[in-house]
Amino acid sequence: MAFTNEQLERYSRHIILKEVGAKGQKKLLNAKVLIIGAGGLGAPAALYLAAAGVGTIGIADADEVDLSNLQRQVIHTTADVGKPKVESARETMEAINPDVTVKTYRLYIDSTNITDLIKDYDFIIDGTDNFPAKFLINDACVMAGKPFSHAGIIRFKGQLMTYVPGQGPCYRCVFKEPPPKDAVPTCKQAGVIGAMGGVIGSLQAMEAIKYILGTGDLLTGYLLTYDALKMEFRKIKLPKDHSGCAVCGDEPTITKLIDYELPSCELKSQG
Amino acid sequence: MAEFNIDDTVDITDVVCPTTFVKAKVALEELDDGQILCVHLNDGEPVQNVPRSIKEEGHKILKLINNEDGTYDLIVQKVGD
Amino acid sequence: MKITVAGIAKEYPQGLTVRKLIESENVETPEYVTVTINDDFVESGAFDSTVLNEGDNVEFLYFMGGGR
Repeated sequence: MAFTNEQLERYSRHIILKEVGAKGQKKLLNAKVLIIGAGGLGAPAALYLAAAGVGTIGIADADEVDLSNLQRQVIHTTADVGKPKVESARETMEAINPDVTVKTYRLYIDSTNITDLIKDYDFIIDGTDNFPAKFLINDACVMAGKPFSHAGIIRFKGQLMTYVPGQGPCYRCVFKEPPPKDAVPTCKQAGVIGAMGGVIGSLQAMEAIKYILGTGDLLTGYLLTYDALKMEFRKIKLPKDHSGCAVCGDEPTITKLIDYELPSCELKSQG
Repeated sequence: MAEFNIDDTVDITDVVCPTTFVKAKVALEELDDGQILCVHLNDGEPVQNVPRSIKEEGHKILKLINNEDGTYDLIVQKVGD
Repeated sequence: MKITVAGIAKEYPQGLTVRKLIESENVETPEYVTVTINDDFVESGAFDSTVLNEGDNVEFLYFMGGGR
């Protein structure tokens, strides 16, 4: 595949980088990334991946755009209120970059559909807002051998980690089981500063891009935490030994996907 | 130009900075170590900047030929993979 | 004794257990926090019986469920 002059211009700032170059840009154009959740995390991730020329971007979300989303979900506009989020996200991504093919999945993920959903993608971004979905994505990715970026945001805080098959701990190594429903607040109950999704979702996009390029060090084996009020980033080392993990360990006890019960307030809005 | 065994030629007179260098860089990436690229470029900013940027990437500038028509041919040998 | 908690080294009394440290640090949702000492997990069932030592490096890892 040869670049058109327009593509050379569009991606010039990438191609100039020695870590990217023409080869790296081609890798991006041939890559497939799935974003689960077109919200606070998924919106900025989708924007940057589309702008970067990631050739195929899948986006999964069952919801419609709500006015209360617009404080942080920067891929949607006021005119999009009421529209399916995946449609609104697709329109914005295609408007940014016609090189990108956007595949939309208007659904809630569950144990019956996630394996099929992730199977054609090179990297998965968890932009969901509840523990059942986050554990489901982890388990499905571990079982299918797919790399993914986990993240969570709340109030003025955010965190993320990257899982790559065979390279260190998964989400379940760190957090064994979802907390009982309603025991730990989600953003709907607790609030979140809009720019937090921008910071953490952009970092997730960066991890996906680095994974595709095969350059630099990924956030595997670490949890990166960000406290905006203290203006503090911490890269916390996670235990190396994951042999005892229930899903990615030597003798997994979880071999089937689990649909955990959603908190009562989240019943209508899973990722 | 007969003195060189040109493996590929790229015309960067149809684009502007920084796409000029980007187009030359992409053409160089397609070559193997030691192969030779002829870059056709305009006088002015391209001839001032592109040879320098290519040199900074570690490639070898063999010759800059003034075509006396407002364009140049830059003969570059690729260094590295 | 000096131990490092979430990146900050401070003086703590001898014989401090993980449970007591969680209390003194006002850890949010203490029932669901994940604790590591020197890059190893501490099972939540062992918070009472695990005594910290001079030079230990303790991290608290919190559930963060939001995202949309």
